[in-house]
Amino acid sequence: MLFLAVKNLVQEKTRLLISVGGVAFSVLLIMSIQGLYQGWSNKIGEYIRTVPADYWITQTGATDMFHTPSVLPLTVRDFLTGVEGVASAKPFSGRRVAFAHNGKDINLYVIADDTENNVGAPARVVEGKAVPDKGEIIIDRVVGRSENIRIGDTIPVAGRTLKVSGYSEGGYILSFSFAFATKEDAESILQLPGATNFFLITVKDGTNANDVASRIEADPAVDAITKDMFVENNTNIVRDTFLPIILVLLLIGIAVGMTVIGLTIFTSTIEKAREYGVLKAIGVSNRQLYTVVVEQAVTAAVLGYLLGAGLALAVSAAAGNYVPEFITEIRWLDAAWIFAVTVTMAVVSSLLPVHRLARIDPAEVFRA
Amino acid sequence: MSVVSVEDVSKTFGAGHTAVTAVDHVSLSVDAGDIVLVMGPSGSGKTTLLSMIGTLMSPTTGRILISGQDTSTLKAAQLSRLRLREFGFVFQTFNLLSALTAEENVMMPLITAGVPRKHARGKARVALEQLQLGHRLRNLPRDLSGGEKQRVAIARSLANDPRLILADEPTANLDAKTGQDVTLLLCETACRENRAVIIVSHDQRLRTAAKRVITIEDGRLTAEERGEHDRHCRMHPGAGSS
Ligand SMILES: Nc1ncnc2c1ncn2[C@@H]1O[C@H](COP(=O)(O)OP(=O)(O)O)[C@@H](O)[C@H]1O
Ligand SMILES: [Mg+2]
Repeated sequence: MLFLAVKNLVQEKTRLLISVGGVAFSVLLIMSIQGLYQGWSNKIGEYIRTVPADYWITQTGATDMFHTPSVLPLTVRDFLTGVEGVASAKPFSGRRVAFAHNGKDINLYVIADDTENNVGAPARVVEGKAVPDKGEIIIDRVVGRSENIRIGDTIPVAGRTLKVSGYSEGGYILSFSFAFATKEDAESILQLPGATNFFLITVKDGTNANDVASRIEADPAVDAITKDMFVENNTNIVRDTFLPIILVLLLIGIAVGMTVIGLTIFTSTIEKAREYGVLKAIGVSNRQLYTVVVEQAVTAAVLGYLLGAGLALAVSAAAGNYVPEFITEIRWLDAAWIFAVTVTMAVVSSLLPVHRLARIDPAEVFRA
Repeated sequence: MSVVSVEDVSKTFGAGHTAVTAVDHVSLSVDAGDIVLVMGPSGSGKTTLLSMIGTLMSPTTGRILISGQDTSTLKAAQLSRLRLREFGFVFQTFNLLSALTAEENVMMPLITAGVPRKHARGKARVALEQLQLGHRLRNLPRDLSGGEKQRVAIARSLANDPRLILADEPTANLDAKTGQDVTLLLCETACRENRAVIIVSHDQRLRTAAKRVITIEDGRLTAEERGEHDRHCRMHPGAGSS
């Protein structure tokens, strides 16, 4: 009976437009925020994933780079290299600093680019010098572009003035971005004499990594966190901030979508009550009739979904060019669950007129 | 076996001192090929009787058998299927589906019965062509004249090869000539295919098509006469040319 559902929909163009528009709005809302969440999560993980380490060693209780400060004495390195199965242990330090630039606060997470230990280098340098010299700093290209900080400009970082010597990529994360200074400059910014934030260790080939981790954690002062877990801990920050927002927008989206579909399908059913009575009289069962109504709602919802998803893709493609924060990734999985929500929404909305439909008396069609 | 057997059926609306007995102890039997014209004043219970025969309404007392099957024993879904297969309905107000073309309106009962789309379309086309509507297949009801609408409704009522066609005042919304032509067309088609027809109408001229003419007054069956039916189903020289 899909053809009847489609014909009914097309017949009532204004109503169709309203329901498709309502659903499209909901889908656009949900998909954009989900895409942002996914995009930002990936972005945070992106740089950390490039850091060569099997395990991140943190001060006990610290689980990520941004929320739980971790400070370890450099002497821990001797302990780590002495642990059976550890191939290398390198100090990794960085700190978040803020400065004002053209009346705007800019947040950098300055990492010590330790060429001696070959750790703390940018993921990719796309312009300028690949390695900073003394008094220089490499910043993310996104910040350089959006804040108009050019190579050769100087910026104040924690009481010092550093000259921007290059642009890196892949280290831009919403409210801050990674920047890279020499080990000496970083140390003076960090002010942690004789200490570092993390150690990055690699495990010898053919050694059971879990066993190595347990041996390290025998020291109550440190935790050993796998690279994957460390990436996840850091991206969880995004998740924790975002999930409540996504949930609220999801609820708003569902409420808008359901109201629009519910109302349009309900009024359409009432207007068509007589025709549905005729169908009943000629032998269409209640179940078939209900199917027509559900098909009507679902067809409108699917059209709305296609429109909304198309808009979301267009917006995320276009907006990224103008707003660097607008980093989105719309995955098939997310498109699929949003589709499932949309269809469910339509089916539930069409429950509204079911009762009304069942009450239509086919004998009425004989009355003029 | 009769197509329909109405056995001592009454229908009362309401209760107490406001109760209205619309149909009062009516018995009637209709056989295949019967063309029954039901006449009677307004409010005499014709529509109520037709609704009960069509299983759209259940009798207060008495029973109605369709091809020997007592309809009171059937559930709603079974009644739907029975109506779909055994009955064709023609209404005073045509009652076409406004979103569907003429062709699609005729396809509707076929599709409901599970006939594949293509096949249904073919059948609908043939039926409409037989009713001289071959040039109106793609028109929506709002673009059809009253007579054309009623012919589409007739094609729809015949789509599933029903044994019985129930028509309640099919001419009431048409001018006299058109009404008569259309109804005679219905009778002629039904007659040729040996289907039974029950037509409620005030139009005396339909006597020429009827095998039986029944009069109802105050819910009671008061008279039955023979109609002027022609055995060869030739009812109207101009039928079909309207
Ligand atoms: N659903 C109903 N509720 C109450 N009274 C009804 C209903 N249907 C019909 N009636 C009454 O039953 C009587 C017969 O009506 P009806 O069968 O429509 O007559 P006809 O078709 O011969 O004009 C009328 O008095 C009418 O008012
Ligand atoms: Mg009537």
